[in-house]
Amino acid sequence: MSSDQRPVRRMFGEDTTIQDLKDHMGPFVAHLGYKFNTETEFVDEVLASEIEILDRDGDIYCPCRIRTGDPKEDLKIVCPCIPFFADQFAALGKCWCGLFILEGIEDGAALIGVIEEPEAGAEVDVPVCRLEDLPLGSARHVKIGKSDIAVVRVADEVFALSNLCRHAFAPLSDGFVDGYELVCPWHGWRYDVRSGTTDHPNADVRTYPAAVRDGVVFVSVVLGRAR
Amino acid sequence: MNIRLYALSTCPYCRMTKRYLDEHGITYDHIEVDTLEGEEKQQAIDTVKELSGGTSFPVIVADGEVVVGFNKTRLAEILGL
Repeated sequence: MSSDQRPVRRMFGEDTTIQDLKDHMGPFVAHLGYKFNTETEFVDEVLASEIEILDRDGDIYCPCRIRTGDPKEDLKIVCPCIPFFADQFAALGKCWCGLFILEGIEDGAALIGVIEEPEAGAEVDVPVCRLEDLPLGSARHVKIGKSDIAVVRVADEVFALSNLCRHAFAPLSDGFVDGYELVCPWHGWRYDVRSGTTDHPNADVRTYPAAVRDGVVFVSVVLGRAR
Repeated sequence: MNIRLYALSTCPYCRMTKRYLDEHGITYDHIEVDTLEGEEKQQAIDTVKELSGGTSFPVIVADGEVVVGFNKTRLAEILGL
């Protein structure tokens, strides 16, 4: 049976309302450092469109983008698509259609309408999680574009480094934090979270600038191209 | 001026753009890409990708200039409003 012949299964029930979608999305976009646009009428219009799309296509695809028919590509436009375009959206201050804006932006009106891809090459602070999601002395895996990054909290500071151990490519965020060192879960290789250095030759990992603002953890990366 | 609007039936920015063009008495060709079918739909998607480099809507083409989204400032500039 081809994918076209499969019956459409709905992600949400027949009687889904705008408020249901707000209740569903609000809490987890907050963990990504975003909130709904402050223009509530606009938000309601976008969500009403998403419900139309849900009725037609079975899920809440972005109303500003078209389904290509390639399931892998189309997954990237299920709302909210923030994780797929984390660096672009951080540079724009909003998602493509402006339904979501960065938590720190007070007035989202000016962010409605324009859809322009930011220029690649600039450094951008990307929100990755809330500080409360990163308990003291712990590490967490975050993804920005194709980069797998471990964010680590030591005392009042946060650090970011590549999540892949250079030895056997274990996910470092599954290891444990010992002082300023992140210890690989597989063979105990120790990485200094401040510099990415390890005692093993030619096995240092790259680090990224990280900071906390208003309870949100940001990691700085060089802006890539939209995928 | 030859103006073509590639839109989606479900897209708020497309509705805003249509409203804006209508309010200013601008005439345009209107292609609702998601309501097309088969090859015609694929061709329209390919054209949008080629014009805009992506699959965001609306895409407005006015005498060779391409505007993505409801960018009032750029539309006003191009259309001389």
